Amino acid sequence: MNWFTDRHFFLLAVAFYGLATVYSVFLWRKGFRRDDHVNYFLILAGVALHTLAMFKRGLTLHSCPVNNLYEATTFLLWALGLACLVYSLLPRFQFLCAFTAPLLFTVGVFALMPSLDVHPLPGAKPDFSNWLRSLHAATILQSYGAFGLAAVAAGMFLMQQHDLKFHKLRAMLSLMPSIQRLELITFRLVAVGFVLLTIGLAAGSQLPRKEGAPYFSDAKVVWSALLWLIYLESLVAHQFFGRTSRRFAVGVIVAFVFLLLTFWVTNLYSGLHHP
Amino acid sequence: MSVVVIGLSHHSSPVELRERFAFADAKIPDALTLLRASGIASEAVILSTCNRVEIYAATTLEPAEAFAELKQFLKTAHAFENPLGEEIYTLAEPESLHHLFKVACGLDSMVLGETEILGQLKTAYKIAHGHKHTGARLNKIFQRAFHVAKHVRTHTNIQRGSVSVASVAVELAEKIFSSLAEREVLVIGAGEMSEKTARALLSRGAKSIIVASRSHERAQALAMEFNGRAVQFDDWAGEFEKIDIAISSTSAPHHILDRAKLEPLMKARKNRPLLLVDIAVPRDIDPAVNFLENVYLYNIDDLQSIAADYLKQRKEEIIRCEQIIAEKVKPLLETNLAVRSKTDISAQSSNWWSLRDSNP
Repeated sequence: MNWFTDRHFFLLAVAFYGLATVYSVFLWRKGFRRDDHVNYFLILAGVALHTLAMFKRGLTLHSCPVNNLYEATTFLLWALGLACLVYSLLPRFQFLCAFTAPLLFTVGVFALMPSLDVHPLPGAKPDFSNWLRSLHAATILQSYGAFGLAAVAAGMFLMQQHDLKFHKLRAMLSLMPSIQRLELITFRLVAVGFVLLTIGLAAGSQLPRKEGAPYFSDAKVVWSALLWLIYLESLVAHQFFGRTSRRFAVGVIVAFVFLLLTFWVTNLYSGLHHP
Repeated sequence: MSVVVIGLSHHSSPVELRERFAFADAKIPDALTLLRASGIASEAVILSTCNRVEIYAATTLEPAEAFAELKQFLKTAHAFENPLGEEIYTLAEPESLHHLFKVACGLDSMVLGETEILGQLKTAYKIAHGHKHTGARLNKIFQRAFHVAKHVRTHTNIQRGSVSVASVAVELAEKIFSSLAEREVLVIGAGEMSEKTARALLSRGAKSIIVASRSHERAQALAMEFNGRAVQFDDWAGEFEKIDIAISSTSAPHHILDRAKLEPLMKARKNRPLLLVDIAVPRDIDPAVNFLENVYLYNIDDLQSIAADYLKQRKEEIIRCEQIIAEKVKPLLETNLAVRSKTDISAQSSNWWSLRDSNP
């Protein structure tokens, strides 16, 4: 079974995410009326295989598997999938899986591109055997997962709000949570992500770097700080300055799309992360 | 022994007639005793609600004979002397069993799929059972009917959604707010429909009701009934900062709330969601307010259209429900048939032995 690598496990996981996506389309067409758990179990199977893939890779590396873009992306997706499974257990949140599955599948397929899984030359790769480094990478990627799930909940909010505003029967027939609850969950997920991101960045600032190189000279650090500011502004504006729920939800989605689209690029330009 | 049904319902007779034949709960045990003592039925259940009066009887009589006797019993019990025609329906097996199951599932109700009838049927059965007027036959059939009603409720959409304006408004509120427990409701204009809607919201846990009406006495009376608070009609806008749901049903000939008036109120509310239910004709609230963020405006047509859609859905479920009922009634009929054949054979065999004994 040596030929069956961690990438094969991840491939299987992505296949399950794909099946969940197909089932999500079916649920969407049916107006989210059926109260079933098919999607939950498909994602559960996917996350189980995903965990196995990461565990196998971690065992090989003897450290947290976040050394290249493939590993970072799979870690992000794993955090997202796991959070989705936990939050789906809340009453009326079973359809969170249906909204998360397409994201897991799309980013999962992207992560499978062979060029992302580059094994750097010995000594050239960032060393994550240090616990502070592992903490830095793990918390930051978990925060991305929380932001991803917040974007999914925000999407559910916008759909339900639109349906209620324009008197669509789907709003009444679907087994979705109330929009106030969706807004609360979105806010909490962003808050959790923000705290994790803060911890991750704080841990990152304590890591050793080249003599005399300022922390904020690295592209990834600047990008992370920008992300931190975006989410901080979003939380403060919504909580204290009366930003409407709709604008908050749109902001959370836009911020996560920005994160997804620029994550890899900034990683490539980062001397600290891509030496 | 077969099961027969005789009765009157909202399908067959007007309320004036139904009320003549209604049985008060306290009088049902005596009526059942009388019915069984007359020899018409071995077991019986009387169901008497505002929409129907029905007798379910297990009898050894031929259906035609049983119907005549039961009709006479009904007339005598209520001292009714006029002739009765199609106002009374009679059903023999298998239709009688199908009918009972349909009643239990709410398929024969005025509001299709409603659940109140199941509770009423259970009470009727409980009274008869408690006074030992039911036996093996009716016990089995009624228990199965209750079981099927539960099955139909969970496996079909017959009871899904609200089919009245008041309950649609409540459902809408539950789609917007995470809980109704902390919600304050403002009723502007104390009409019948707004009263019903407010009552429905209260029954689902709304925190309090504030009433504003041109007649302050009427507002106070209604507020007292809801354990709420009455405000002067001109002061209703001042309550908008606190409330979450507003139900408007004044007879004003123009809009009493428009976008210009609501916009500053929404700022004061810090953009908390606001559900506006406008059940007045002509409308009290300018439709343009729906373009404001966090404002959800529904007028009487919107609510009625949702209720109609739900009803349409329920009607589409009837066929599925009837298939389930047919499936569940079948074994009951087969069991009865088997018991009857066995009884007939043993009766024939005892006849044969007595004939043989009398002719040595």
